[in-house]
Amino acid sequence: MSVSAPSPKLTFEGITLDYPGLRVLDGIDLSLADGEFLAIVGPSGCGKSTLLRLASGLLSPTDGRVLLDGKPVSGPPPGVGFMFQRDTLMPWADVRRNVEVGLVLGGTPVRERPARLAELLALVGLTDFAGHRPAQLSGGMRQRVALARLLAYAPDIYLLDEPFGALDAQTKITMGRELLRIWAQRRRSVVFVTHDIEEAVTLADRVVVMAPRPGRVRSIHRVDLPRPRDPRALRQDARFRDVCAAIWNHIVEEEPAHD
Amino acid sequence: MPAAIEEAPALAPAGAAAPRGGMPGWLTITLQRILLVGVVLAAWQVATDHFIDPFWISQPSEIALRLWTMAASGDLLFHATATAWQALLGLLLGLVVGVVAGVLYAAFPRGAQVADPLVMGLYSVPRVAFAPLFIIWFGIGLFSKVMMAFSMVVFVYLLNTAQGLREVDRDLLDAMRSMRARPLWLLWHVRLPAILPWIFGATRIGLGLALVGSVLGELLGANRGLGWYVERSGGRLDTTGVMAGLVALMVIAVVGNEIVRLIERLALRGATR
Repeated sequence: MSVSAPSPKLTFEGITLDYPGLRVLDGIDLSLADGEFLAIVGPSGCGKSTLLRLASGLLSPTDGRVLLDGKPVSGPPPGVGFMFQRDTLMPWADVRRNVEVGLVLGGTPVRERPARLAELLALVGLTDFAGHRPAQLSGGMRQRVALARLLAYAPDIYLLDEPFGALDAQTKITMGRELLRIWAQRRRSVVFVTHDIEEAVTLADRVVVMAPRPGRVRSIHRVDLPRPRDPRALRQDARFRDVCAAIWNHIVEEEPAHD
Repeated sequence: MPAAIEEAPALAPAGAAAPRGGMPGWLTITLQRILLVGVVLAAWQVATDHFIDPFWISQPSEIALRLWTMAASGDLLFHATATAWQALLGLLLGLVVGVVAGVLYAAFPRGAQVADPLVMGLYSVPRVAFAPLFIIWFGIGLFSKVMMAFSMVVFVYLLNTAQGLREVDRDLLDAMRSMRARPLWLLWHVRLPAILPWIFGATRIGLGLALVGSVLGELLGANRGLGWYVERSGGRLDTTGVMAGLVALMVIAVVGNEIVRLIERLALRGATR
């Protein structure tokens, strides 16, 4: 399986982003193959979340271009799903309505919505909580709702910004497994931002390590572990630990060199 | 995280958290409220029976009697509905205009910056000072009172709407924007629901202000309404009449407040589905 397939799904071309008096991203070149699962790790402040905002068209680069399916991104393009670390649910609406919003904005015809809704709620295991509001749910359940909304929108590419970052270790692994299961079914392109290296290696085909101030790509690591992967079993796998260790070295190496 | 959004799901009745001695919390609170009012009235009655000339502050028994006669003759309903109606119209007009202005305020920050000194200037002028103008412009009928009430509440709605909109969760908006939600869709489905608690807050403040505006209009020129009745009674040194008018106003305010609270509860619950 070649990573640099003929037409990449998403490409960052020489992306530079400046805020007044601060260079956030410096010359990022990166591309994502169709159906690839890419993870981006790096310390906070390395601009990894900013990269996702650029890809979703919520932000425009100072220099360089973002290409989605070969077309330059300006403003939110169709078919891009974004999931935040904080569940960005409507607090006044129940679970059903929060997921339905994805269907509405994704253009699912009204007649098909009830069936799709039931399907999605079942998929994330929230059928019994359809009438609950976000405040009545645990953090993990709220992220499931956000995930269901993302799936309801039926994007071609998932931009996930530390989606399980606020969850406890146990829930994080469970959610990771569910994400892998869903991804295996649909094979959409994924950009997964995290600061958890093990999580990145568990999920991704490639792991991009970013360095901070200014944000730039430090190294890229292929993860050739066979799929399907079991997050728990992987932890015992020597190859898994090798990849993690290699990534750690790149991050640690970076630190004393600065300031 | 904006406080108003956190408030939204908190729908538990105020007294629900004190289930002591088998009596439900709300009942305890209600009894205590009645007791408080009873003690105040009793003290007032006793004081005016023995120590203070009722000429100055009247007394509860007299006021109750007056209210009873007014109610029997239909005067009470006549004056009360006039005042309440003016306040309600002013409140609704203020709500519509204020919310629309607040939305524009938040939608066009540059324009808001330009308009801000003017708006805050108008807001700071005591509205009583406008009364002579209002009477010249709108006459001494219903309309001048409605406008007086309106001028009291419109700023409350404007400022609350604008502030509420500024505090809507940015990530939530971005999440919706990333799904290509259009500005009007965002306004209707995200921004306005998000500021509903702010609008209800403004309504609870605005209700009292609208009554003030309505009564103020009546004090300055009218031929009906509780404000007019209070003013006329005062002119005749009839403290009982003044107090009766004030009690009626208080009842309107309390009832109005409870109605707003009920609508708020239904609306915020209904928003779930």
